[in-house]
Amino acid sequence: MKVKQPDTSGALVAQKPLVESELIEPAKTHQVAQFKHSVPLTSCRVDPTGTYVVAGAQDLDIQVWHLQTQAQRTLKGHTSWVRSFDFSKDGNTLYSACWGGDVKVWNMADAAPQALMTIPAHKGSARWVRLSPDQTKLATCGNDLLVKVWNIADGELLQTFSGHERHVYAVDFHPDGRHLVSQDLMGVIKIWDMQTGKLARGMDASLMTGYDNKFAADMGGARDLQFSPDGSELASAGITNVANSFAGIQDPIIMLFDWKTGKEKAQLKPDKTFQGIAWGVRYHPDGFLIGAGADRSGKGELWFSKPGEKEFFHTLKLPKAARGLDLLADGRHLVVPHADGSVCTYRMTAKAKLFGT
Amino acid sequence: MRRNQGCNPLDHQLARRQFLAGAAGGAISLGLSGAPAIAEQVKGQHKRILQVYLQGGVSQLESWDPKPGTEFGGPFRAIPTSVPGMHISELLPYTAQRMHLLSLVRSINIKTNDHTQGRLFMEKGRRAGEYPYIGSIASKYLAPTNSELPGYIHISTRGLTDSTSAFLGAQHGQLKFEGVKPPKNLALPNGLNETAAARRIELRQQFNKQFGQGRPKSMTESFDVSFEQAAKLMARKTFFEKQPDGKDLERYGKHDFGRNCLLARALLENDATCVKVTHHGYDSHAENFNFHLEQLGEFDKTFSMLLDDLHERGMLESTLVMVYSEFGRTPQINVRYGRDHWGTAWSIALGGCGIQPGAIIGKTNEKGTAVVEREVDAGHLFHTYLQALGIDSTNDHDIAGRSIPIGDPTAQSIKELLA
Repeated sequence: MKVKQPDTSGALVAQKPLVESELIEPAKTHQVAQFKHSVPLTSCRVDPTGTYVVAGAQDLDIQVWHLQTQAQRTLKGHTSWVRSFDFSKDGNTLYSACWGGDVKVWNMADAAPQALMTIPAHKGSARWVRLSPDQTKLATCGNDLLVKVWNIADGELLQTFSGHERHVYAVDFHPDGRHLVSQDLMGVIKIWDMQTGKLARGMDASLMTGYDNKFAADMGGARDLQFSPDGSELASAGITNVANSFAGIQDPIIMLFDWKTGKEKAQLKPDKTFQGIAWGVRYHPDGFLIGAGADRSGKGELWFSKPGEKEFFHTLKLPKAARGLDLLADGRHLVVPHADGSVCTYRMTAKAKLFGT
Repeated sequence: MRRNQGCNPLDHQLARRQFLAGAAGGAISLGLSGAPAIAEQVKGQHKRILQVYLQGGVSQLESWDPKPGTEFGGPFRAIPTSVPGMHISELLPYTAQRMHLLSLVRSINIKTNDHTQGRLFMEKGRRAGEYPYIGSIASKYLAPTNSELPGYIHISTRGLTDSTSAFLGAQHGQLKFEGVKPPKNLALPNGLNETAAARRIELRQQFNKQFGQGRPKSMTESFDVSFEQAAKLMARKTFFEKQPDGKDLERYGKHDFGRNCLLARALLENDATCVKVTHHGYDSHAENFNFHLEQLGEFDKTFSMLLDDLHERGMLESTLVMVYSEFGRTPQINVRYGRDHWGTAWSIALGGCGIQPGAIIGKTNEKGTAVVEREVDAGHLFHTYLQALGIDSTNDHDIAGRSIPIGDPTAQSIKELLA
């Protein structure tokens, strides 16, 4: 049965005549806005002040939308697709990493931002970039099998961590500011101590990789990585149960690890009919976890789970593949980059009611 | 409708007995002939073929015909090569430095997106019909009569059921090696010593002689040749069991493809005529870019080391090098970051014997969606391979009084690619 969809082409501001519920209810998550680019998107990020959403696409540009005014800007300068972003706490500086190996730094306060600095971070793709909790360092990883730490002031290389034997897919700082985690194609998670400059320990996410016997190739890797706000837990999004990865037949998974013990805490998977990749994971400040994924058919889903539970308590089916996920600082909105070129904003409250109804 | 994922059932391990069984079936084929004239064409030199088959369909956009920054260009960049003005994908940095030894054909349109049809067309030079593979033709016309090795050897970690020799006779059929494992059954069966084995051979020959009286020679010839080839393989048991040199493994890589290419080098050095090495894993309907990173990362250095070794040993002049697939991949990127089957506008690389190095034949449009210059198909390529080897592909196979055109009479060689 076809259900009439609300007009969601406007930005958040378009909903103002309506009365929005403030109560966060994940089960009532619904789309409230859409921003459109002409090319399929690969990633997105919202700045900590909730002003902008930025997105990478299957082109060389970064799209920037002002969440309130809908004004769109395009940042040019990368030589390949942009896969990862991070913002400074004040939202004024954007860091972007591309498949070409470069990390670029942008001043978002400029009307037409140009890259302030380009760091040739990796030989081969720079898959991930993250800013340290103290806002002084960047961590990157790439296809040269290295994890690197950079001084954000001048782009100086501060530390290099080697030890991964396959492409490194994602990296993040632990909130303690001392440790880094990185995960590679084979599900090897390494925890690096920046004080000693050495490998501290590891975690086993080998469940998140598979060798496709038919095609003789490995498939895996973290497609998103995030610590819980208190640093007690690490979430990694990706795949498991590789059956025929060349046709996209495998299961999405979000694995949770206990930071202290390094042990696996949970394997969160959607319904078995949903085959594809988990592309995004975020911890909500209220304690629940949100995931996003793409099915091989081209559809998407958002997943919600409560701490300690082994199954999602709510799944929102999306008509298009979700290729990432980020959370606005207000705690009420999610942004998702989609394979059809749109970034959609979803509100985790009851739908708005017209004033007076 | 079932979607074609490419992907046929497997898999076939080599066994000497299996080989002999195949040969027995070949005894009813049309037999051998026509070789003397071809031998005259190739002037007594032992010319060889190295086929590197990128199974599943390597993406031309991630290899030989990159279109960075265009609508369907993907995330990878183009890099300059050792040939001024020629750029290939950044996924092939080692190969890029050796492109002066190779040439590219960027304008292939085989008008099929089916794995089997594409593979057969690329191997036989014909869209349909029972015709021999290029490797079987090499076995028939290029293999020395005293060769210690079968004329057409295929090294693969898995394989497809191919009848490659058609009317040329089963002794020219593809002999499959399951990776670097020695062929099975090389040792004499338990309880059979060498003297007893020799007596069995004598007995078989007596039966053949008796059976052959008043019958065409071809009816026993395939059996005889196959038994002889099997005996030669058994005599070279230690060759197959020898472990590769550690330094070579470092250069080639310790993965299956590295080991398989080292075996290919050893076979070619020991007068094998056509050696095909299959590198699997290019049928990337999903995650095309991550898979090409992995697969071409493995291919690039290994293939380059093999090319260097053939070059340094002076073998490249007499060895035709083919790097090919059954088709390319769609310019359009699907929702799974995949590229699908695409026979409409794609590329291969050739080099070595009879091939002009450093050339680029043909052109695709800006987005890579169509050939815009010098369109060719597998029929043209087939003529080109044979002409490069000194075989007149416009000639006929002379099979027991029947004349069968070697190459498709409606296609021609790519003359400007020939040295």
